Amino acid sequence: MTSRRFDDVFEGDEIETDAFEHSKDRVRAYAKASDIFFPRFTDDEGARREGLPGMITPGNMSMGLIATFLERWAGPSSVRRLGTTFRGLLLPDRTIRICGVVTQRDDATRSVEVDVWIENDDGERSVIGTATVALS
Amino acid sequence: MPLDIDPSILGREFDRAEHEPVTAEALISFALALGETHPCYIQAGPELVAHPTYCVRFKGNKFFPDTLPETLRFRMSFDAGKDIALGTPIRPGDVITIVSTLHEVYEKTGRTGSMIFVVVRFTMTNQRRENVAVVDNRFMYKGLAE
Repeated sequence: MTSRRFDDVFEGDEIETDAFEHSKDRVRAYAKASDIFFPRFTDDEGARREGLPGMITPGNMSMGLIATFLERWAGPSSVRRLGTTFRGLLLPDRTIRICGVVTQRDDATRSVEVDVWIENDDGERSVIGTATVALS
Repeated sequence: MPLDIDPSILGREFDRAEHEPVTAEALISFALALGETHPCYIQAGPELVAHPTYCVRFKGNKFFPDTLPETLRFRMSFDAGKDIALGTPIRPGDVITIVSTLHEVYEKTGRTGSMIFVVVRFTMTNQRRENVAVVDNRFMYKGLAE
């Protein structure tokens, strides 16, 4: 099902950054679709009661956003492996950027390794990771 | 190994959970919440498959084995990250079984001091016993190893 061609991708290639307003409504929709009902993922007051500055994004949602970003670039069902480290809070109602760069090519499997991360307006990376992406 | 953990508890199944059949509606609402637009993730029909990270929705009956020291089991941990290795795509009607094992316990020293990481592995299969995903859940504990 993958669509990006392996022969057209090289080490050091940057994937076009996806910048968008990461809304609270989207986070609530994700929490509902994932059956997670912790207040920290649904409302500011509930999050503050837990000692947080406000509503936060589930780590799993950050992973999902990264997978979506990679598959927009490479095609559906192209992500074979995704590893993430949650380094900080990803707060909604802010602009976020999802970025990636190709670090390695594997001729045998026609796949690439990609460094990925999510950063905020201040350039802080709240989520970093690596992925293996199969190409056609 | 920190905290005097018995190495024999690593890799041993401590939980098995079978989930209700996956529905097309659940797959679609999950994908839409992530901004997916590709028809294979958001349109009901024979081509519909789960978004690659749908597997992290599934949980076991318990997070940690009873054999894990109480100093870890009953202490608050932080979700430090996950690693997913994907297999056969999940489709509507699939019945997912999760087998949980304690995969790894290790210590790391960072800028804020010593941390202990506990990695719980979920091995997920469908009703045909095909591998769907292996998910390593990494939990971090601060201030235990000092």
